[in-house]
Amino acid sequence: MPRAAISVRAIAWAFALQCSAAVAWAATPAENFPRMANGKPDLSGHWSNPYTPDMAAQGKVLDPATRQPLQLSRAPLPDAKASAAGNAPRSLDLPYTEWGLRQWKSYDPVNDGDYAGSCLPFGMSRNINSPHGVQFVQNPTSIAMLFEQNTWFHWVPTAGQKWPADMPPSWNGVSTGHWDGDVLVVETTGFDGYTRLDTAGHPHSRQMKLTNTFRRIDARTLEHTVIVHDPKTYTRDWANVRTWKLKPASDVVMEYSCEENNLGNLFSGAIKPWKPPENEDEE
Amino acid sequence: MKNKTLLLGVLLAGSLAGAGGALAHHSTAAEFDSSKPITFTGTVQKVMWMNPHIYTHIEVKQADGGSFVYHVEGGPPNSLFRQGWRKDTLKIGTVVTVSGWRAKNADSPNVGQATITAADGKKLFNGDGPSKAAE
Repeated sequence: MPRAAISVRAIAWAFALQCSAAVAWAATPAENFPRMANGKPDLSGHWSNPYTPDMAAQGKVLDPATRQPLQLSRAPLPDAKASAAGNAPRSLDLPYTEWGLRQWKSYDPVNDGDYAGSCLPFGMSRNINSPHGVQFVQNPTSIAMLFEQNTWFHWVPTAGQKWPADMPPSWNGVSTGHWDGDVLVVETTGFDGYTRLDTAGHPHSRQMKLTNTFRRIDARTLEHTVIVHDPKTYTRDWANVRTWKLKPASDVVMEYSCEENNLGNLFSGAIKPWKPPENEDEE
Repeated sequence: MKNKTLLLGVLLAGSLAGAGGALAHHSTAAEFDSSKPITFTGTVQKVMWMNPHIYTHIEVKQADGGSFVYHVEGGPPNSLFRQGWRKDTLKIGTVVTVSGWRAKNADSPNVGQATITAADGKKLFNGDGPSKAAE
């Protein structure tokens, strides 16, 4: 067979293979992320979670069902305290109840005590919103979230294990996870109400149920959603949707000790220490 | 030499990349006063590589022959590490110029929102750069 004929046939064969591969990919996208032995997506890894100091930023507050932005008044609140996150003055940026609005307008960590500056637990929401990474460690019955922020951890059972019914309220709450198909659903309750949702200081009550979902889209990407259900604070549920990226293997989770410098700032008065509220029922 | 230039470029890019982020949890507004800007030139005395922010101690000679040591707030060490900074990147004895805000507490030596500029004009920390990303 002449050499030219071989080449033409080889090229045609390679082209046909490529086309069939492309068709196959279009029909059933190739999955390029790992799974656990039980078939569930393996979310293990050190993830870069987008820093979210303001969950109510323009366009970010979504209807959990439709994922469309909620129509919010965003009217200014001239009688509210100064912004705690250094951005625009506070406004009607979430669907507050009367109680929730009171909490939103009065939050003043500079003068009333800063729980985060005091290195106390940020709470599940603000941990996830922090600018530092989160390492997921997963096995078939649980997933652990290792937050670089202040070297905190959060353990989530995913196989029906039960927490004691009389667990005391806590800063981060307690979570249970389950799988909805390939989506990990983490529901967190049992909050002590001392925390805020984010750096800006958006409020929540002890009644809040926070639902975080994690869906691995590809080898390097997670879709993260968070739904805030808190009828004491908000007249309706609302959500954020975010994209997480897997960090390179060289980027390892590191120790983070908030107290190293903040102790001095607390002693000097630069940061006002947090104190528990006198009337917990109001929290 | 080539490596040094590259490193400085990485550091500068890293600090600029952090600009525009949000405030630290110990609010900059709480500790520092934007109406008290300050600029001074001094010598790096010590780098306190600590969370949630590093502090660079910079000694400034005073007219009376004495000296004053400012504590200049920088970014979170883990973020700086990932950007290529190390505790000894900014050498002791380096002469730098700092622009920033004094603390609200008049007795405090702390300076925030700082830009640190090396003698050759290169910016090491840029204004509200990496420190803004701390939480």
